[in-house]
Amino acid sequence: MAAADYDSWYKAPKGDNDLARLTDTVLRVSEAPTPPVGWYVAFALAVSMLAMLGISIGWLFWTGIGVWGNMHPVVWAWDITNFVFWVGIGHAGTLISAILFLLRQPWRTAINRAAEAMTIFAVMCALIFPGIHIGRPWLPYWMLPIPNQMNMWPQFRSPLDWDVFAVSTYFTVSLLFWYVGLIPDIASLRDRATTTVRRFVYGIFAMGWRGSSRQWHRYERAYLILAALSTPLVLSVHSVVSFDFATSQLPGWHTTIFPPYFVAGAIFSGFAMVVTLLVPARQFFGLKNIIEMHHLEAMNKVILATGTMVGYAYAMEFFIAWYSGDQYEGFLFQNRAFGPYAWAYWAMISCNVIFPQLYWFKGIRTSLWAMMIINVLVNVGMWFERFVIIVTSLHRDFVPASWGYYTPTKWDFLTFTGSFGLFFTLFLLFCRYLPMVAVAEVKAQHAHSHAGH
Amino acid sequence: MNRFVFPRWANKTVQLAGPVLTVVPVYLICLIWYGASPKTTDVGYQPHQPVPYSHALHAGELGIDCRYCHNTVEKAAMAAIPPTETCMNCHARVRTKSAKLEPIRASFKTGESMQWKKVHDLPDYVYFNHSAHVTRGVGCVTCHGRIDQMPEVFQFAPLSMGWCLDCHRNPYKNLRPPEEVTNMTWKHPEGVDPEAYGKELAAKRNLHPPTDCSTCHR
Amino acid sequence: MSSVNEKTEKPRYWRSLAELEGNPEFEKFVEHEFADPVSDVPPNSPERRRFMQLMGASLALAGATGCRWEEDKILPQTRRPDGLIPGEPRYFASSMDIGGYAVGLHVKSYDGRPVKVEGNPNHPDSRGACGVFHQAALLEMYDPDRSKGFATYAGGKRTESNLEAFLAAVKPLMAAARANQGRTFRVLSESSSSQSVADMKRRLLAALPEAKWYEYEPVSDDDARLGSELAFGAAYRPVYSLEKASVILSLDGDFLSGRQELRLAPGFAEGRSPEKGEMNRLYVIESTFSMTGGLADHRLPLRSELVKAVAAALDASISAKAAPGAEMGAAQPKPAAAFLEDPKVAKFLSVLEKDLLENRGKSVVLVGEQQPPEVHALAHRLNAVLGNVGKTVAYVPDFTADRPTHRDAIAALVKDMSAGSVDTLVIIGGNPVFNAPSDLGFEGALAKVKTAIRAGLYEDETAVKCAWHVPLAHWLESWGDTRSYEGVLTLQQPLIAPLYGGLSTIELVANLLEDSTKDGQDIVKRTLSRQIGDERLWRKAVHDGVLLGSGLSPVQPPVKPLPQFPLSDREKAGIAVANGQLELTISACPKIYDGRWANNGWLQELPDPVLKQTWGNAALVNPVTAKELGIEDQTLVTLTVNGATVKIPAIVAPGQARGSVRVTLGYGRTVCGVVGIGSRLDYGMPSSFADEMSDMELIGTDTYKLKSTKLEKFGGGLSVAPTGEGFKLALTQMTHAIKDKIGQEGLDERMGELVREATYEEFKEHPDFAKERVEHRPLLSLWQEPVSYDAHKWGLSVDLGKCTGCNACVIACVSENNIPVVGRPRVIQGREMQWIRVDVYFKGDPDDPQLVHQPMMCQQCEHAPCEQVCPVGATMHSREGLNDMVYNRCIGTRYCSNNCPYKVRRFNYFNFHEELKQERNQTKKMMFNPDVTVRFRGVMEKCTFCIQRIQNVKIKAKNARRPIQDGEIRTACQQTCSTGAIVFGDLNDPNSQVRRLQNGKRSYAMLEELNVRPRLQYLARVRNPHPELV
Repeated sequence: MAAADYDSWYKAPKGDNDLARLTDTVLRVSEAPTPPVGWYVAFALAVSMLAMLGISIGWLFWTGIGVWGNMHPVVWAWDITNFVFWVGIGHAGTLISAILFLLRQPWRTAINRAAEAMTIFAVMCALIFPGIHIGRPWLPYWMLPIPNQMNMWPQFRSPLDWDVFAVSTYFTVSLLFWYVGLIPDIASLRDRATTTVRRFVYGIFAMGWRGSSRQWHRYERAYLILAALSTPLVLSVHSVVSFDFATSQLPGWHTTIFPPYFVAGAIFSGFAMVVTLLVPARQFFGLKNIIEMHHLEAMNKVILATGTMVGYAYAMEFFIAWYSGDQYEGFLFQNRAFGPYAWAYWAMISCNVIFPQLYWFKGIRTSLWAMMIINVLVNVGMWFERFVIIVTSLHRDFVPASWGYYTPTKWDFLTFTGSFGLFFTLFLLFCRYLPMVAVAEVKAQHAHSHAGH
Repeated sequence: MNRFVFPRWANKTVQLAGPVLTVVPVYLICLIWYGASPKTTDVGYQPHQPVPYSHALHAGELGIDCRYCHNTVEKAAMAAIPPTETCMNCHARVRTKSAKLEPIRASFKTGESMQWKKVHDLPDYVYFNHSAHVTRGVGCVTCHGRIDQMPEVFQFAPLSMGWCLDCHRNPYKNLRPPEEVTNMTWKHPEGVDPEAYGKELAAKRNLHPPTDCSTCHR
Repeated sequence: MSSVNEKTEKPRYWRSLAELEGNPEFEKFVEHEFADPVSDVPPNSPERRRFMQLMGASLALAGATGCRWEEDKILPQTRRPDGLIPGEPRYFASSMDIGGYAVGLHVKSYDGRPVKVEGNPNHPDSRGACGVFHQAALLEMYDPDRSKGFATYAGGKRTESNLEAFLAAVKPLMAAARANQGRTFRVLSESSSSQSVADMKRRLLAALPEAKWYEYEPVSDDDARLGSELAFGAAYRPVYSLEKASVILSLDGDFLSGRQELRLAPGFAEGRSPEKGEMNRLYVIESTFSMTGGLADHRLPLRSELVKAVAAALDASISAKAAPGAEMGAAQPKPAAAFLEDPKVAKFLSVLEKDLLENRGKSVVLVGEQQPPEVHALAHRLNAVLGNVGKTVAYVPDFTADRPTHRDAIAALVKDMSAGSVDTLVIIGGNPVFNAPSDLGFEGALAKVKTAIRAGLYEDETAVKCAWHVPLAHWLESWGDTRSYEGVLTLQQPLIAPLYGGLSTIELVANLLEDSTKDGQDIVKRTLSRQIGDERLWRKAVHDGVLLGSGLSPVQPPVKPLPQFPLSDREKAGIAVANGQLELTISACPKIYDGRWANNGWLQELPDPVLKQTWGNAALVNPVTAKELGIEDQTLVTLTVNGATVKIPAIVAPGQARGSVRVTLGYGRTVCGVVGIGSRLDYGMPSSFADEMSDMELIGTDTYKLKSTKLEKFGGGLSVAPTGEGFKLALTQMTHAIKDKIGQEGLDERMGELVREATYEEFKEHPDFAKERVEHRPLLSLWQEPVSYDAHKWGLSVDLGKCTGCNACVIACVSENNIPVVGRPRVIQGREMQWIRVDVYFKGDPDDPQLVHQPMMCQQCEHAPCEQVCPVGATMHSREGLNDMVYNRCIGTRYCSNNCPYKVRRFNYFNFHEELKQERNQTKKMMFNPDVTVRFRGVMEKCTFCIQRIQNVKIKAKNARRPIQDGEIRTACQQTCSTGAIVFGDLNDPNSQVRRLQNGKRSYAMLEELNVRPRLQYLARVRNPHPELV
């Protein structure tokens, strides 16, 4: 560790040993009487965007989804694009916490808490869209198997129904996982709390954690089990989401490569989003020495890897389109790359395939500015990927007489930006009131690393 | 160290949690199951009619056939409510002074329609056809109950989709010879299994009640 | 403020409702409307949805709500008329007269509310079919914008009035008129084939000997009449029997649409089934792509003005070879026209001439009504020379011969008016202020008239300029009589008491004359007393609607020698013409005709048969010409001719003749209902849509400004100037506008597989070319068959060789299935709702392409992709193999549409019946078909093969314990198709027509390689080109 960093870290926090200081560094963020000014600015921004979401959803309920640009034949457009986009982002968290945990990846501890939080918020954003995109948004519960006087069940052959179950399960497990991980840290927040309110609230959520070895034992077990439970989910969710497309017979959707391709893409975008969020966060709240450069670098490596996989998938789609000799499939991919929506396609390619390749260079991998820019671009690119898959496949399918060109309306923009409002509002609240780093786990890691000498 | 810990009694809640978490949901489910079912909400609906017309009297004691008034029941989707004229066929001579019948006479004089209240009431998107059931040998009583014992008509059956489907899936015990449809007191012949009897009728008349969506929704 | 619920109106309104029996929800929503309008409840609240259901959702049958706490009333009649079964439809015969030509109709009526117009199977012209205008007339009748009472206009200021006041006011006028023998009294009316109107006219002229009664129609076929006068010395109407013709030549005519369609299409279609043996061959020479041109085996795009020379050339060469008798006189000399030298034209004509000569007596020459009399005369001569008369052509005397031509009539009237010699002018129907020739200055002249009385369905451009407005009763509301093209007598009977009051034409005249009989029925009886003597016959005639055998008997007048017709320089010019010398052709709109139906949403939203334009008109320019003039597709251009200029969007139209620009009439109405002037009011969309509406102060461009006595139907001297401004046209299909290379290639590559075609020769060699057209892997199914289909197995067959693309099926479907009108902005957004899409494809060189129509509706797949993906089971497979669409279960995920390879599903992006919340639109609710649920916003819908018709027949048949006859169930589209291109039936019935057709060689399933197993199959189109022109 570079001396300068170490000093700055060493000076500031109170405590008579590393571990205590560590605790202090993380927890005082939420104990500080006022957060940094930047937080206020960001929060104000986020909340106003959230308001936009509220307004546009209200208007949608009032008039109908015709307020969006969706048309015939492009009946799915930004609504589902946003859904898949958010679900994708919601992948990194659980992946980092669960899989990397099972794989015993020490560096995960610095970032998993924030990542999980992000996951949950992203999935919340995602869940909005299937709900409001349906024509009669007051009836989504008809997709759930609730006994009724009509003797009607949902149609279990429909991928949309699988989706409902997949995503909601994923959400529940991730939430539990996150919360269980939080308990010890909440407990220490409670213990350091100065006001009764804080003491009470944190107390409730700490569920009477005393740190007894018995509790630790149970905690470890629970955590391990949840990790094991959520690992397959990471893979299943986006696979199922991809079935929405893969099981249809529409050229451009009807592809067996979709599940792995979607999962890779999801991790890709998820990691990009984590880095995008953590870089500023660690600056603001002085966590540089916990979320260290080599953590970020590791993340960027994963992004490079998954980005390349995605690129491979793109190439493979084209190859199969040609190799299958299917006239409609063939046309569709030409049309994607050179048709009216070519601009979207090339935006996707450049953001997802070309820029991430820069991560081969350590210099870029480890430069904060570079990674900020590239990862934001990756997120843009991944949004375009979903847009390309959905819209360009629909706008020119089998019968030319029903071809059309889709253009979004202002309400499409408002709803999408609004969902970012929700995301950031929640994330900022999280930064303010909960420990951004899994203190307990970091300590554990710390202990391991010191155990050596 | 001053920390918030759950008070001792909190442990009790843990023991309570088990029972509560099992009982309460079950109770709620039962409540909704029963409370929201059409059996509860719809059956027994009995509005007051502008004229206290008694089916018990006319169909029951006097034994007037249903089709005397509801004469379109075998031809059309609707078992039409009779025009005032039909009432006057008799009441021009019978009970000409009765105050209760004043609205009828008024309506007949002025040509203003009687405003009967609808008892059996399906949603707009449901297309029920009386003729399709009556001519197949489904008795009036099956869906309307013992009208001949109702001084004031009330809804006898839930008329819910599930209820319709039950019969469309297994109609046999509700089938009878078509000439008996209006007979309120008809019983299956002695010692005959209704199921088998119905199957026979169905086979004879080649009845396969459809359960396609378009059977009722168009 | 709608007068529907004004005291004065209410009783009449209720009288029409009083017929309703056991029909609570109808009563209910009327209460709803007049007691507590719920227009202000949020769109997704239960009351709101309930309200939506009430808006006619299953009006007649079913209960109302499913909400217990709402109380429904049943109001039986006090006395039920014989034969009336509440909630059961009844049919009444009537007829509709368009510009003097009538077709017999059947009108379907539920509990006293007409809900659909269909053809009268007993009427020789209709044979059970009818056109778009007839069917859309229903909407016109219910149109809340129709004039709702008497009114006076002074300086544009409107004052309500009433019949009494009106009669009081006209009394002195009539007295004055009587005093001066009617010297200063004039009547201007629409053309009518009615004998009663003629009789009232006679009576009026008897009372006022020096008065004049003129008839004016902006779209007139007088030139055909004049042509026959040229050829025969008297006015005759040609009656063609195309079923007997093997070679048909259409000179700039569209006999498969417009007023001739129903009469000629069936005969023509008979010659288009290759299985039956020899096919007929259709040659078309025309300036713009017409439906007839679409079906042509050989089509030659030529400017309309060149057709005269073509006719002359044909006469010259054919007479030379056919050597007609001397009594026919000399043929035209071979015209020295530059364009005839053009190799393509020369080749075409030589083959045509040969073909005609080889088929003497089996050929026929038809001419479009916009062509000048000379061309008609030449056609008559050609038919005579070719010995077709008495075989493929016969003639009936024109029973309107005594009236002056429309062009003379209007000119004479305007002359009188401007001379100030007209004190009282009665304008019955029509809309001369809007549609009189622009250079006559009708409006100015009208100002000179002391008292102008205008009777009309609408208070329109003309009404606001007249002192008195009299509401006319719609033909569905009144007694009358009409005659068909051949003079077959048909009767009109009222289906409902006049919704907004109003008098019929004859009643109005009777009132003016203070005739002893003022009642419509009595007048008609009186007029027809000679033909229909006693009451029994009268009742029968009214019941049948048509008096068979009343038609005029065909005659064969000899053709007189024709003079040599001089050809102007333009008529001899070459193919290419310079800007400023371009030709402008002006014709009626295939949708709103001369503008009289501008306020009819059904017609406005109907896609143009060829270019699929809705809600407006455009200038059609040939691609090559467009390039020369620098005109882009869908940009605004200015047309200038004879000093008049209009700004209008241009469409670069494949198949348009070079140097010829075509516009249609009737748009750009300024005083009209909310639909016609494109007000937002009509489809009560949220105000936020203002921006979309910005470009639509008016619907379309008023092209009457270009129509003058100098340039009535077509003429030269047009200059076109691009403005460079783009203009969004409401096109429902862009196929002709797919410009990008990829799209073009994709289109060309697959067109041949979607729409399969062959020539007659190819067909004879291997008849199942259609089945072999697409090679695909063996079609294996993932799971066992969903259903066995042992009871019924419904199927539909569409013959691409017979479809003219006339849109009659589309309107029939709209009317039968309560399909909403969505309005221009939403068509632009691609949200039109029509369940039938008549796809149009152009093949080959855009300068002179071929065209195919393909009606596209739900194919009712046996392995339906839509069914697999609906999460709530709102579209399910019926055991008869239909994809049942359950609106009340649908939550609108739209996944089914994604997965539908034909993209035939339609989605309610908004509540497109929003307009019905407005008080002014209440009457429209009476128009709904009670057998079909009215869909709410957010619900997917699609063609159901008219499931309601299937179910009703099934129930009736089973009640009677009899099997269903083939042809007993007919879908709305099939029923109205004049060429019989659509056939529905049971594929399990061994001798059903549809089964025969689907087992036939030409039958193919579109996109069968997807293994979706559509129940709808197309019969491949077979063209019959002349070997030498292939």
